[in-house]
Amino acid sequence: MSTTKDFIIEQLKSEISGYKAEISEKSVGKVLKVSDGIALVSGLAEAMMSEILMFKTEKGEVAGVALNLEENQVGVIILGDYTAIKEGDEVRATKRILEVPVGEAMIGRVVNPLGEPMDGKGKIETTKFYPIEKIAPGVITRDPVKQPVQTGIKAIDAMIPIGRGQRELIIGDRQLGKTAIAIDTIINQKGQNMKCIYVAIGQKESKIANIVSKLTEAGAMEYTTVVLAGASTSASLLYIAPYSGCAMAEYFLDKGEDVLVVYDDLSKHAVSYREISLLLRRPPGREAYPGDVFYLHSRLLERACKLNKDFGGGSITALPIIETQAGDLSAYIPTNVISITDGQIFLEPDLFYKGNRPAVNAGLSVSRVGSSAQIKAMKKVAGKMRLEAAQYRELAAFAQFGSDLDSETKKKLDRGQRLYEVFKQDQYQPLSVAKQVLIYYVLINGFMDDVPVDKVREFENALYKYADLNDASLKAINEKKEITPEIEELIKNLVSDYKATLDYLIK
Amino acid sequence: MKISVQQYAKSLFDSVTDKSEKELKLVLKNFVVLLGRNRELNKAKEIINIFTELWNKSHGEITAELVSARELGPTARELVVNYLKERTNAKKVILEEKINKKLIGGFVLRYDNKVVDASVKTSLEELRNKISN
Repeated sequence: MSTTKDFIIEQLKSEISGYKAEISEKSVGKVLKVSDGIALVSGLAEAMMSEILMFKTEKGEVAGVALNLEENQVGVIILGDYTAIKEGDEVRATKRILEVPVGEAMIGRVVNPLGEPMDGKGKIETTKFYPIEKIAPGVITRDPVKQPVQTGIKAIDAMIPIGRGQRELIIGDRQLGKTAIAIDTIINQKGQNMKCIYVAIGQKESKIANIVSKLTEAGAMEYTTVVLAGASTSASLLYIAPYSGCAMAEYFLDKGEDVLVVYDDLSKHAVSYREISLLLRRPPGREAYPGDVFYLHSRLLERACKLNKDFGGGSITALPIIETQAGDLSAYIPTNVISITDGQIFLEPDLFYKGNRPAVNAGLSVSRVGSSAQIKAMKKVAGKMRLEAAQYRELAAFAQFGSDLDSETKKKLDRGQRLYEVFKQDQYQPLSVAKQVLIYYVLINGFMDDVPVDKVREFENALYKYADLNDASLKAINEKKEITPEIEELIKNLVSDYKATLDYLIK
Repeated sequence: MKISVQQYAKSLFDSVTDKSEKELKLVLKNFVVLLGRNRELNKAKEIINIFTELWNKSHGEITAELVSARELGPTARELVVNYLKERTNAKKVILEEKINKKLIGGFVLRYDNKVVDASVKTSLEELRNKISN
């Protein structure tokens, strides 16, 4: 016992005697004014843009970031407790651009936008730091998007395929399941060689706690980092949250890995930036947003990329989320982000309340990268299916008026009803590609035409179970990734065997 | 257009250089009248500050604040003055000395938005931060 005590004391002594306070010349300024999360500082002639500045207060040092460099003063956003800062306090420049810790140790953790742990699991040991603002990779380093991100959601993987390196916007009113789509996608990345980063901007902390527990339950926290800037966080932290999430993703990108980043949501991010800008007295523009609100999002989403082999071949896929007010797509922020992204998943209240969940509007949703990010088997079934879906939408609107329909039309309507039934999917139940291909194949080839519409989901779920038991066909799809005549034969046999066991089909 | 404090100070500085004492009085009087007419007399303090800076710059003078725990001896003061001359290329250093027992030892030197903090107090604080983290 005494040896350890002596050892500790010896160590401490040598540490202290070895310690030498560094004396160096520092550039300093004085606080002129503090208001909600913003400080004006005089002096600091050598301050850089987005440099970390330390406020010396009675309660210890508080960090801030230079955002406005003016003739005689510097506008600073305060990242810590701004109530501790007083007028006349000394501000020290650090000559460091704002950066966050990155590394493998961040995986499985819940952190704040500065990379500090929020989950009570202790200190995060990292050695590397990445600047939160970085210019996006240039043209020479990029490759076209060609590998799929499997969201595990039938309606999306078939009609609005997302590729690795794509930016796909999820847009819709509140409470329509925007976050649910993103979370399902994260859950489905298990074993898909993908790291995930979920950035919560201005979300309720109860919601995040819920999400984290769901992710842990599904085993998804093994490859996921949650960057949390809750609703009670100051605007300055909300503003840097997506950039720091992106910096954490860039670490894996540089290692040649694939990363999925969810920004939930960017409308709250824009609001927090508006708050900061107005406090910094930048002139307001449309909807009182500052003039550079487009650049705010474009520089963030442009960092999503697919690099070519010479640059490691990694990718960052971005899933930004935008919340609209009463379905208003022509508001400022939604139009901006729609124009930046490579397509959008549009969620509609009408569909949601009719029970079509996820409430993806197949007509308005697009993916500009498209079918190059699908496996061959999916391409084959999805092409035909998309056509059927479009025909059904057209006919369904028209068929509401007339009752006498010719048999051809009626057949299309029946098929369409079953298709929309297949699109329905429960939350936290992502589906593998093979199963998706299977169900679409069964549908478009008419094997489901004799199943009553209200039995479709039952039929579907039991089919998956049946296929799991006789896994030859699923395995073949997974291996070949396309539908060969042999596989077609396998599927046909599987379905006819399966249908023979259903009592509601035996008349 | 509004005239900035910087511009006032600069023009005042330009107009007082190479003037005799009699002319100087007139210039200053006019300057105050101008400020009064523009209703910017409340900015006088800031203008004086910037004017001092400009004056010091052109005359190779620099004012610095030196806070120490005990009064400095002549050799120590000489060292500080030389350090400042070297760093700023100033010909003359005006040292405002202050005593602050709370520093325990060492000194804090402030000039031109710069601080050299070599006090025992700060190094102890830094040591505390290092150990507690």
